[in-house]
Amino acid sequence: MGLLAQGTALDWPDAKKQAHLVRAWGIKQLLEIWNKAKVKERDAMLWGDEVEYLVVTYSKDDPKVLLSLRQADILAALADDKSLSAKGGCVPELQGDPASRTNEPLPVFHPEFGRFMLEATPGKPWGIEFKELLGVEPNMKLRRCIAKDHMLPNEHPITLTTFPRIGSPGVFTDPYYPVSGSKLRSQFVPDEIANPHIRFPTLAANIRSRRERKVQVNVPVFKDENTPWPWKDPTVNYDLHQWPEDDDVRTGGAAPDNFIHMDAMAFGMGSCCLQITFQAKNIIEGRQMYDQLSPLGPILLALTAATPIYKGFLADTDVRWNQISKAVDDRTAEEMGEKPLRNDRWRIPKSRYASNSTYISTDPRLRPEYLDPNLVIDEDIKQQLLDGGMDDRLATHFAHLFIRDPIVIFNEDLQELDLNKTDHFENIQSTNWQHMRFKPPPADNSIGWRVEFRPMEIQITDFENAAFAVFMVLITRVILSFDLSFYIPIAKVDENMETAHRRDAVLERKFHFRKNVFPVRPPRGNSGTSTPNSISRPPTPPRGPVEDEFRPMSVNEIINGTAYALGPDVEVDHEDDFPGLIPLVESYLDSVNVDVVTRCELATYLDLIRKRASGELWTAAKWIRHFVANHPAYARDSVVSEEITKDLVGAVVAIGEKEQKGEGFRGLDKQAAPDLGKLLGGFRGTSRCC
Amino acid sequence: MTKLILSTGNIVSGGPSIIRKPGANRSNFEFTNSLRSSFQAAQQDYAVVEPALGGDALANGNGNGNGLHAAFAEDSRRAPVSLWTAQENDVLFVPRIDWSAAGLQEEPARYEITAKLFFLPTAPISNRVRYSTEALDLVLKELDVPGVDLLIVSFPGMSFDGDCEWEADKLNATQGSDEEEAATWLAIEELHRQGLAKRIGIAEFGSEKLARFLKMVQIPPSVDQINIKNCCNVPPPLVKLAKEQNIELLVHSDCTDILSRGTLRDLLGPRPQGAGVLGDPETGAGGLQGDLTPQWVVKYTAVVRDRGVIENKGYFASADLAEL
Repeated sequence: MGLLAQGTALDWPDAKKQAHLVRAWGIKQLLEIWNKAKVKERDAMLWGDEVEYLVVTYSKDDPKVLLSLRQADILAALADDKSLSAKGGCVPELQGDPASRTNEPLPVFHPEFGRFMLEATPGKPWGIEFKELLGVEPNMKLRRCIAKDHMLPNEHPITLTTFPRIGSPGVFTDPYYPVSGSKLRSQFVPDEIANPHIRFPTLAANIRSRRERKVQVNVPVFKDENTPWPWKDPTVNYDLHQWPEDDDVRTGGAAPDNFIHMDAMAFGMGSCCLQITFQAKNIIEGRQMYDQLSPLGPILLALTAATPIYKGFLADTDVRWNQISKAVDDRTAEEMGEKPLRNDRWRIPKSRYASNSTYISTDPRLRPEYLDPNLVIDEDIKQQLLDGGMDDRLATHFAHLFIRDPIVIFNEDLQELDLNKTDHFENIQSTNWQHMRFKPPPADNSIGWRVEFRPMEIQITDFENAAFAVFMVLITRVILSFDLSFYIPIAKVDENMETAHRRDAVLERKFHFRKNVFPVRPPRGNSGTSTPNSISRPPTPPRGPVEDEFRPMSVNEIINGTAYALGPDVEVDHEDDFPGLIPLVESYLDSVNVDVVTRCELATYLDLIRKRASGELWTAAKWIRHFVANHPAYARDSVVSEEITKDLVGAVVAIGEKEQKGEGFRGLDKQAAPDLGKLLGGFRGTSRCC
Repeated sequence: MTKLILSTGNIVSGGPSIIRKPGANRSNFEFTNSLRSSFQAAQQDYAVVEPALGGDALANGNGNGNGLHAAFAEDSRRAPVSLWTAQENDVLFVPRIDWSAAGLQEEPARYEITAKLFFLPTAPISNRVRYSTEALDLVLKELDVPGVDLLIVSFPGMSFDGDCEWEADKLNATQGSDEEEAATWLAIEELHRQGLAKRIGIAEFGSEKLARFLKMVQIPPSVDQINIKNCCNVPPPLVKLAKEQNIELLVHSDCTDILSRGTLRDLLGPRPQGAGVLGDPETGAGGLQGDLTPQWVVKYTAVVRDRGVIENKGYFASADLAEL
């Protein structure tokens, strides 16, 4: 989350009147930066990770575990501490050469939507030198340690995706605030749950106002032995008469049977993610990475699944994605197709937080059949971009993003168009929360074209978060080195995204995935004298039906390869023998110079991912489900009580403390965190060796 | 005596031959597979559409056309050997190389270029000086660069085997021949002095062997490349020695015996399994006849430094054919 602008934020009816202006200026700013930056070349591979935390109050003797709303105070404490000196044993366990990191800039902390959240990024972007990849995990630990040091003794930064009992009846924040404020109008969470900076309440209020009702975040409830069926969310209050929106649950069908019902942006945007941004060497490589990482999104979402509880109930899904999507869905009834189009311009099939809808690469392997034939775009905006010299494919992408209205507009920014800024462009761009984001350079053109990979769920430990971050970095190098193509039709990526939500999708479901990811070898050219007179094959082999290019695969097969997934005794057709992403990464590592220590550390990360994909280790979602199911207070009725929540958060806090001390996770299995071995295996045990 | 130069071309964007076999932590799988693909690709690319052209091609058969016609008829989509290979003096390039396509996309300084030269047990030790120059010359020509950043040499008969790396270190101490390796190293030092290799290194030297080697050479290796299994336990004596001597311990997954006579015969032998360069020794049909001896193999990689992208990777290999 970037710098927060100050000013007068317009309420929705006023903002709506200015939407066209913001879009028009945004497109001009986009063309300006595109013209400046389209020739940028040879930018280095730099990358960054973002880790988000929930801040909870927890102590052994206190029966309640709460969300701390002291974000502003904590950030102020962090900002006041100029040196951010690592106090109280905050020295991260160093790997490799300690001297290489003494001058490392300190991490940076940012506010997030939730007032109970923090985001932390490294002090400078990472490079691609392999030793540098080993700096990620200590740096993540340092971030957590510094954050903890600027909190009260009973406050803890934890990396659960969601707080299990946010929005449950009773007290779940510290301090307590009553629900049903004017901005969110939620019957479950107070307005004070959001960051008080004017941007955030305005965002929430204008989304609600634009869609003319509250957001409806409904998650199917997990049906356990004693769960009443049909299940009616017992926490829904049908007798609230404070706001017109309170009618939603009475007459609007907002709270259907068998769904956990939530009604505010905080239920989605209050989730923690692990996001990675890569700098490309030029715009072409950026567009290639955007496209090729896109089909991996749902796979990594399923593999990092960590979100099985909402509002005090076990859900029947494992990940956060759709909940965030619904929590910021600003579409009107007309746009959603519930009413005939009268006032709005078009029907829009997806929320502004959703899986990608476009491919943008100039790769000749991108077949028109992969694209969405019904993609909604603003034709006028596309024409402006084409007139400005942009190619059709990229113009289509931005003309699709620009079908959305800006949600938060500051009156002060509407005085005159400043082409030395990108604020209006970013207003639309950064409120299109797709699972990939293609980022032009900033207005001063000081950094390169970037691609953000956004679907991953945050993991409980920094070890896991580092593993997934490093894995994704290596995957990008593999894609570029081996010129791989993961193209499948966009509609199939959407389907995969839905599949990734299913309970234990990582083991139980199959995903559409491309069978042959390798490039077709180009025939020898006509450049030299030694070339043949005629070539017996056409330069591009004829292409069969798109449907033949992909088939359903398990995550295990995608990550570890067909041979590994099926075992050595199963014969596989050559055509169906998928190599696997990890063997591809290993082939890459075999081809570059890596020192033994680095390679071993990287192997540890790959091992974690291999075992998560094969089911040898559990996802956080599965581990949390087991934790709840085996808790003595659990009544097999899908209810995650305060007592269970306290012990779950306690386990997560204990895991974090062990990790900070570098003591390894052994021993926790028997006490605070049962089955931890199923989550983390023997990794990061007492000794550093695997 | 004919010399054969086998080449893979750039294999990074060449498809699945780069994939490591599951479970194999050390193999020549990539090398042999990519050679096979390289031969097949050349056979397809140089195949002629008009069967009549086959006659012309045979006329340029370089004197080894015996039996080529049969091979050509057997698979008309594949070019005859004379078309997809090239004879230059006493060297037969398999496949022929289009040097006009040589070179890298950006200037050499932007790459980290590594070459690894495998000396083979089948070749006379006395020729190693010549082999080093031959192999490196081909790499420099292929990448169109003035020198490499790192040249690693791999000696035959060395391994880093055993259930535990401690054992491997012990066993390693008894392998190879210190004198021969030190003698060969003189040639590698010379390449370094000439600026053709900024850093030079060795492969598969355990602590004892490395310690002895260091006493015998003028320019110590900058790199020792070792094959380790899943465990991160590099033998501490090796770690200590490497640290003291400022030698970088790098990982590899190649096997030392990367090209045996048998493998080479299989690769080049009669179709359909082989490339059809060699004839059938039983019937005397098709292709070259004679005794084929692998001489050396060189692997090269060019990685864009600040992006970690492998732009070019490939192999050359040399073999002598003693014609009967």
